[in-house]
Amino acid sequence: MSFRRHLPHYLMIAPFMILFAAFFLYPIVSGLFYSFHDWNGVQPPVYVGLGNYAKILQSRDFNRAMINLATYIALTVPLGILAALGLALLVDSFTPRWSNVFRNAFFMPVVLPAFLSATIWRWIYAPNFGLLNTILGMFGVGSVNFLNDTGTMLYALIAVDIWVSAGFNMVIILAGLKNIPTELYEAARLDGASKWQQTVFVTLPMLGPVLFFVFTYGFISAMQVFDKPWLLTGSSFASYGGRRNALLFPVMDMMGRAFGGVKFGEAAAYGFLLTVAIVAVTALMFAVRSWRERT
Amino acid sequence: MIAVPRRNNKGLAWTVFRFALALLIALIAIFPIWWMLNVVFAHPGEPVSLNPRLWPTSLSAGLSKIQAILAETGYLRAYGVSVAYALLTILGVLAVASLAAFEFALFDFPGRRLFFAVVLLALMVPTAVTIIPTYLLTSRLGWLNTMQGLVVPGLASAFGLFMLVQFMRAIPKDMIEAARLDGASHLQIYWHVALPLCRNALVTLAILTFIQTWGNYMWPLIISTQTDMYTVGQVVGLYNSPLSHNTVDTVMTANLLAALPPLIFFLIFQRKIVEGVAMSGTKG
Repeated sequence: MSFRRHLPHYLMIAPFMILFAAFFLYPIVSGLFYSFHDWNGVQPPVYVGLGNYAKILQSRDFNRAMINLATYIALTVPLGILAALGLALLVDSFTPRWSNVFRNAFFMPVVLPAFLSATIWRWIYAPNFGLLNTILGMFGVGSVNFLNDTGTMLYALIAVDIWVSAGFNMVIILAGLKNIPTELYEAARLDGASKWQQTVFVTLPMLGPVLFFVFTYGFISAMQVFDKPWLLTGSSFASYGGRRNALLFPVMDMMGRAFGGVKFGEAAAYGFLLTVAIVAVTALMFAVRSWRERT
Repeated sequence: MIAVPRRNNKGLAWTVFRFALALLIALIAIFPIWWMLNVVFAHPGEPVSLNPRLWPTSLSAGLSKIQAILAETGYLRAYGVSVAYALLTILGVLAVASLAAFEFALFDFPGRRLFFAVVLLALMVPTAVTIIPTYLLTSRLGWLNTMQGLVVPGLASAFGLFMLVQFMRAIPKDMIEAARLDGASHLQIYWHVALPLCRNALVTLAILTFIQTWGNYMWPLIISTQTDMYTVGQVVGLYNSPLSHNTVDTVMTANLLAALPPLIFFLIFQRKIVEGVAMSGTKG
């Protein structure tokens, strides 16, 4: 009786829920199953317990990918947010019309698909004839092979990434700026606060939650970086990671194991390791935030 | 000449400085895109970056390069695949998410909270964990190198559902009741009351879905392994491969054609796109 009364509701959510179960819930459960098996996609899976996990944790590629990732995150997340904050404050200081113009200009790189920004920058970074080397040449600096020199590869990627993410984060911070009540600034002005003091003592504290979101989101997406380093290092399962794996990242390593090495069990286990890492980092950030709010 | 009050001098200098800084940053943000245009619209054989030109020199040369790229069936085909992939995904996401959002936002039924909570959980799960198993499932369904293999796994968009639910919650319950008293069926209320009221959200979701599917690189990379199912992203990747020996002209022309749809979309819908991104940030 009750079920029949609610039947229309269930029918309406059914398309979504069925697709969701099939292409989200089921993959997670089956992925967990595969992660404990050795499987090449053809022969039947062989149970190996935690073997896949152990193999990944002990592999040199995993170590390399983790070191690259740590350096990448340590630079790209804080610098990207700092740049975004600067851009947002700058954009916000203009009249609405100009503010709109500059906001759109700064946002432009975000609209380009990542595969395009990577391919454009690949040519800007090209050795000898590349734009960047031409400019450096004008200042008498010899040609640098940015994407093949282990000393510059990571920084070349970080530059492209900040070029994109600053615009993205700027838009979110701008939305946060709009939500700050103007009365707070009036009160600060009455107390004799300068523009600079208003920024430090009103704007930044009020942006706290937005900055927290941008930071957490930036962290989570940086941990899954794939398109840009993949394309910057040759866009194939033969050459990913670049010279001496200086641009190898966890998701690339995972994809390489699945489609380069046909080890689907190992790749599934890799996905779970990454997820655990991401969840742990996110939980840690929330814990730090609530601890700071209490003290 | 009107004397400018002295204390404004500092303000004027500050304004000039802010404009100069903003222009410089805008230049850095747009320059790579502008450079791509310059390379395409230049006489072939003109040195591309030995002498970085700051403006295009030949419209006709650019057009003939574009023609040459489009004449390659591979590119045109990939364009078709990408357009179909994007359009079908948009239609599917809008239909499936709006039906479900209508129920989750406006009605109560046993299991509603649980279902919705499970979907929200998906917003927090990284794609890294689902991509391999989803690929295995899709391949087992025999959907490799098919349009349904590209489209269907992406239709249950947790973000889309969440966004539409936020909007539909604002619809007054009285309106639903009034429609019901007028004899409207459940589906009619959805179609004639709820959908028109959240048209803005639907448009924003459609645009964001377009930009996202057009730019999706990882999923087509593993699902479309045969050249006739390649998307634009994969073809651009091919042009860009160090083994392809293409000149920078050709590569940038291929890039430009791939960049046009999202750039045009942005120029038309910039407000909605920016609002959509901001919303995904401040409410998510």
